Amino acid sequence: MNNSWKRIGTAALASLAAVGMLASCGGSSADDSNTLTIFNSKSEIQSQFEQMAEKYTEETGVKTEVYFSSDTISAHLSTRYASNNPYVLSMVDAKDVYSLGPEHAVDLSDEDWVADTTQAISVGGKVLGFPVSIEARGLMYNADAIEAITGEEFNPEDYQTLDAFEDLIDELKAGGMESPTGVLKEDWSLAGHYLPQVYEEQEDPVAFVEELNAGTADLANNDKFNSLMDTFDVLKANNYAKDSAISAEREVTTQNFAEGKIAFLFGGNWDWAIINQYDYTDGLGIMPVPQNTDDGTNTKLVGGGSKYFFIDSSDNVTDEQRQWAKDFLNWLVSDPDGQDFIVNTCSMVSPFSSNTLEPADPLGKSVKEYSDAGNLIGNFNGLPDDHYSVLGADFQKYLADQEDRDAFAKAIETYWSGAKMTNVDAFASSLQ
Amino acid sequence: MPKTKLGYKVGQFLMFAGPAALLFCLVVIVPFFYGLYLTFTSWDGVSLNKPFVGLDNYSAVVADTDFWTSLGMTVIYSVITVVITNIVAFLLAFLVTSGIKGQNFFRAGFFIPNLIGGIVLGYVWKFIFNRAFVSIASGVTGATVPSLLSTTQGAIFCLIFVSVWQYAGYMMLIYIAGFMSVDASLKEAALIDGCSSRQAMWHVTIPLMRSSFVTCIFLSTTRCFMVYDINLSLTNGEPFGSSVLAAMHVYRTAFTEKNYGVGQAEALVLFIICAVIGLLQVYVGKKGEVEA
Repeated sequence: MNNSWKRIGTAALASLAAVGMLASCGGSSADDSNTLTIFNSKSEIQSQFEQMAEKYTEETGVKTEVYFSSDTISAHLSTRYASNNPYVLSMVDAKDVYSLGPEHAVDLSDEDWVADTTQAISVGGKVLGFPVSIEARGLMYNADAIEAITGEEFNPEDYQTLDAFEDLIDELKAGGMESPTGVLKEDWSLAGHYLPQVYEEQEDPVAFVEELNAGTADLANNDKFNSLMDTFDVLKANNYAKDSAISAEREVTTQNFAEGKIAFLFGGNWDWAIINQYDYTDGLGIMPVPQNTDDGTNTKLVGGGSKYFFIDSSDNVTDEQRQWAKDFLNWLVSDPDGQDFIVNTCSMVSPFSSNTLEPADPLGKSVKEYSDAGNLIGNFNGLPDDHYSVLGADFQKYLADQEDRDAFAKAIETYWSGAKMTNVDAFASSLQ
Repeated sequence: MPKTKLGYKVGQFLMFAGPAALLFCLVVIVPFFYGLYLTFTSWDGVSLNKPFVGLDNYSAVVADTDFWTSLGMTVIYSVITVVITNIVAFLLAFLVTSGIKGQNFFRAGFFIPNLIGGIVLGYVWKFIFNRAFVSIASGVTGATVPSLLSTTQGAIFCLIFVSVWQYAGYMMLIYIAGFMSVDASLKEAALIDGCSSRQAMWHVTIPLMRSSFVTCIFLSTTRCFMVYDINLSLTNGEPFGSSVLAAMHVYRTAFTEKNYGVGQAEALVLFIICAVIGLLQVYVGKKGEVEA
């Protein structure tokens, strides 16, 4: 008798444990239904975002949770989709809006903020992407370091051509700064930021890329490619880490720039998040990449909307949650606290004209000046997903002098002739 | 209830193995077949529809030269790492069972690298290779010495070095167990019969530790083929994409390039290789048991 009770007890316990395990598998998504879940893909503002969410929850009563993942954005989101547990609001790159938006994003065309910006992304006539900030690329300069040697005020507009820029480099070297530049060796910087300028500064970027794909473009004799690579050669030749360009770490290079040990570094206003970790000097800014050209591209930065929010359209998210997300986006645009959060707390440049707060950091100020004056060349948001990693490897070879310019041009042509054109097509169709 | 009845047997099985079998099905068998299904689609990883494309992904795998290059690199990496790891682990195990002073301290010390996660370990060693070694070498020679991680062969060497450093401690534990399991009287008998201690090691101890060798070699081989964490944090495929090992290539194909089907098919190739190695282990292990 005693035995059978034991047996029944054990069986009951075992089945209880099994049921418990199953229940815990399915339970997690249900808990989120009363929460505004936000995915943040900018690591440098995660802690600010978390603090803001706490405050936002207190003020509005909407339970807000912010998540971050260091994984690739699409990889991370795909796991959330696979588990039927998407974020209500996801911050993604522009290209992700084109690829994910049509299936997963809510149409935001009727929102008030749409008229307030030029950077929202529409696909198929529907506004799907809410621009979080403006980011632009160019040559960052440390005016303090330059002026300490030249003794006169540094005016970036005097150095729009490569010839003038080289003269300045020579002057800096003669004045004791042995190697006035730095080059970030990261593949996203080389082939995700510098190389795309070759397409973006063409008269018709989409047509040029399609020519590359068809094999009819002659890159080695392309003026834009050569003029940008000429400038890159100067940056490379004066790199402080010339002999170890491939192992130079971003943090060290940025620190050298911030402290004025080097004067120039190709980058963008996102680098502020790293620069302000160090003992930076005043007088930092961004100028257009100097080029010997008269097509006007050396008077403009390259950039535009960076990071976009979209609201999930699936059945896994309730209409109430979607409304919370819309309210939150409006809060970011028009509420003084939201505006302050974007500009001052996160040091971003707001893409909304109603947000007139002055950017907190010098790089952001530069970007806003160029942006307000209409001097931004738009991003090419349709590069294939493997563009930066495949061509990044080739660009690194060029940086390490293991590949000459002709071979590099050939590598780019080879890549494009076999590239997947889905992103390009999506981008091209959104322009029309 | 009579213990031979089918119902009783099924009941007993469900009670003891049921939960484990259920979980195994849920987290291994079902995903495996689902993954197999995905290799026949051109899914991009996030889309709602998964278009069926037949064997297209497999022909894409055959045509993907980068995959075969990375697989070749993985074979080279694995062979060298496995050989060195096992030699080092065996010598360490011999050292810490030979009765030297403080051997328990050494055992713990050699095992610790295994307790640090591969990601952390990669970053730590990256710092050592890129900064510490470079500073020392530059200080000694007076010239700027490039980091090992910035050269093609150097990066693979670093990967092998760090892997050996991490795995050797773990394999050492298995070898220690092997040493302990050999009855001391057998070795004493050999010594009395006139063997030198080296002969006793070679002809008595090592043959009796056969199962340890089989376990260690196959364990380290499958680990090497699947390595990802160290690869990611130590080299991230750099320089010039030359140190991309098979698992990293699979990850990049599936998630960075959003070629989920092709990536999954490449993962299947990797799985087959590891499965063959695993089955070989069972076969060799069994064969050894009969002989011993």
